[in-house]
Amino acid sequence: MGWREAWHLGDVAFGELSFQAVYAFRMGNVVPATSARALVPKAERRVTQSKVVVSIVLGLLAVGAAAFLHRGTAFSNALFGVPIPPTVLDTGVLTGVLTLDAAFLWWTGLQVIPALLSSAVLPVLEPLPIDAVTFRRAATILYLRLFDVPILTVLVVTPVALGLALGPAAGVAIFPGVVASVVFSLALSLLTGRFFVRRIQGARGGGGGSVVRWTLLLLWLLPSFAILGFVTAGTRFLFLLTDLAGGGASVARDLLYVAYPVPFALLSGVAAHGTAGAGLDPGAAIAVGAAVVGYLALTGWAGVWLYGEIRELGHLPVAPTAPGPLTSHRLRPQSAPRAVLTKDLRIASRTPGYAFLLLLPILDAVALGLLTVVDAPQAAAARSLALGTVTAAALLATFFGPAFFAIEVLGYSYGRTLPMRDRSVVLGKTALIALIYLVASVIVLVLASIRVFEPLLFAAFVAAELPAVVAGAFVEMGWLFRRARTSGLPVANLYSGGWIAFLIAIPGLFVAGAPLLVYHFIGLPGMALVALAELAVFAPFALGGSE
Amino acid sequence: MAAELLPDDATPLRIDGLTVQYGERRAVSALSVTVRPGEIYGLLGSNGAGKSSTIKAVVGLVRPVGGRVRVFGRDTVTDSLRTKAEIGYVPETSMLYDALTPREFLEFVAGVRRLDPATATARAQTYATAFRLDSEFEEPIVSLSNGTRQKVLLIAAFLHAPRLLVLDEPLNGLDPRSVRIVKDLLRRYVVEGGRGVLFSTHTMEVAQELCHRVGILDGGVLQGEGTVPELRSRIARGDASLEEIFLRLTREDEGLPDAVALLGER
Repeated sequence: MGWREAWHLGDVAFGELSFQAVYAFRMGNVVPATSARALVPKAERRVTQSKVVVSIVLGLLAVGAAAFLHRGTAFSNALFGVPIPPTVLDTGVLTGVLTLDAAFLWWTGLQVIPALLSSAVLPVLEPLPIDAVTFRRAATILYLRLFDVPILTVLVVTPVALGLALGPAAGVAIFPGVVASVVFSLALSLLTGRFFVRRIQGARGGGGGSVVRWTLLLLWLLPSFAILGFVTAGTRFLFLLTDLAGGGASVARDLLYVAYPVPFALLSGVAAHGTAGAGLDPGAAIAVGAAVVGYLALTGWAGVWLYGEIRELGHLPVAPTAPGPLTSHRLRPQSAPRAVLTKDLRIASRTPGYAFLLLLPILDAVALGLLTVVDAPQAAAARSLALGTVTAAALLATFFGPAFFAIEVLGYSYGRTLPMRDRSVVLGKTALIALIYLVASVIVLVLASIRVFEPLLFAAFVAAELPAVVAGAFVEMGWLFRRARTSGLPVANLYSGGWIAFLIAIPGLFVAGAPLLVYHFIGLPGMALVALAELAVFAPFALGGSE
Repeated sequence: MAAELLPDDATPLRIDGLTVQYGERRAVSALSVTVRPGEIYGLLGSNGAGKSSTIKAVVGLVRPVGGRVRVFGRDTVTDSLRTKAEIGYVPETSMLYDALTPREFLEFVAGVRRLDPATATARAQTYATAFRLDSEFEEPIVSLSNGTRQKVLLIAAFLHAPRLLVLDEPLNGLDPRSVRIVKDLLRRYVVEGGRGVLFSTHTMEVAQELCHRVGILDGGVLQGEGTVPELRSRIARGDASLEEIFLRLTREDEGLPDAVALLGER
């Protein structure tokens, strides 16, 4: 059998994967009371929509960066207030683009791989008389189809946009870097996905297991940290690059120039504007050249490794840690909303996609809190930054709200057979969102207090916003439950269900954000009043009339 | 006592004219079945006969388009929380929270069912030891075999000592020892407290051995119901096995010798 047969097999497997990712029948979801014939195209449409959403983000990133660089140093001078040589500016911005491309694709892979494994599409093919080469090709095609539109967007839009903005040479020069970013992200997704299955999903419960799992999960946040880092510290990176480029030969400069993906970005910058101002003395140029060659070799090796290892996805065992002695059968039942909250935290501790959602607002708070301590020049600025970070925590926690409902898809049907009110689930999920907001807020305010000690103001701000966060969560959960009850369709994983989750998050964000908008006009009391009014309006929507 | 003479609140399960439909396809048609106190009622049928759809309607996973289902007199649609509190359910496929361990899953179920810690712990310990689940009690469910997952579901079904057990192919994947335990458990379970069991299976031997009465479904319609002797008299064969009764009532015996002969030729 050849590539043609492999494509056919991969196509069939991808259809099934889309179906399972959306409807999760293998996880126990029940068939919606509609024609089963309509479900398959609907599932494929949902997955395509999600790919398009990811691709739009990646495309906008490339086009936005190209448009920014097209305006060049005049724009950057006006924006940053300091002159930055064009090559250095290109290098800094394109480093950000390549990093974000890789991080975003890696993050997408982390979301998708658990769905790929739980759908069991490859094990279904295992017993069939398919030769090893064809099977591997089919598995590769299946894996690539998870990312196809986003990958094509990165590979095509980035060089083309850059070519149009900075000239064809810059567009061509960025292409190796784009390829490297794509291959690295796909390989990292597989590598970390395997690690997840073996070390986290299969980890025992009880004892200190949850501490170990949460610690390991922090490793999974590296890609999101890369995203976060560039969003929050991109300007500082640009200034650092400018300083090192203009500061003559130094070990720090050379180390930065060979760190991935800087050499690829530098290549494109040099192709567009030459070496002026880039600090590329012969030694640095050789180092950059060697780094490019080295990374391209690593890209080739990663591609070969990926092709060789991808077959394992067909029979990846969930390998539990060595069975240990049972210490106790003790059960500690909790009230229904607390039971839902505890269950979600436990599921998140073995499901990196959800752990990410819990930890991102908290890590964002840590990063920005530290920035406040280090960077804010005056107490007033530190205060504004701290309150802004609390605002970000509130909005992030609310934005990811719909995803916490998605946890219900795991065993959703069984949950519906239990004597549990929808209200209990809504309260459990809302408590989770409020908890994330409070933990993130407390962290940032404790850090900010090192700089500016105003505990009463900070506590009042957090407390005034809390009802709005709860109201925003109520809007999202109330809507999701109505939708789930009418269509029988839970929002599945974030990739396949991202489109709906995104739509439902928008009104939640408006509700959570409204008091923050009025804060500057009518102060804390007004903010608290608006938040409480929202809570009074939306609590009945989510909690009333549910069985 | 005849089913119609039983008071509603003493009847574990009364299904009247149940109709379940998926889009254009009708899975169950005007089905009426009663599970009496102290009775294990077997629901038999071929693939797609409507057994699981009936069970899903009983436990609230599917909303019927017609008819009523009452559990100890309470309607499963209008009073679903109370009826769910009375039911212990084992689904056909192992619908579980894969990322939890059996202990964590049972703790969640016990919380939702408002069990006190001492009772929940004692019952979990009893059943886990009986099913030899101790060594897997702290392993994530995703890493467990099908049979072990089925044991977890059985323990969850028994955990709150329900008055009605609804079991959809509960012996699937179980080892012989556990099958024996479940059968003995069910026989003893229905002796006290007016409890009842609705039990679906493909295995005629199990149904014949375990069930007080059986109902035979075909195409979503009840083709026959009663004790095995009553069904024998219906097909006028005093020595017929339940399998023969089933094949006759569902008319699945038509063309059966030809099909077997055809396979023999291949």
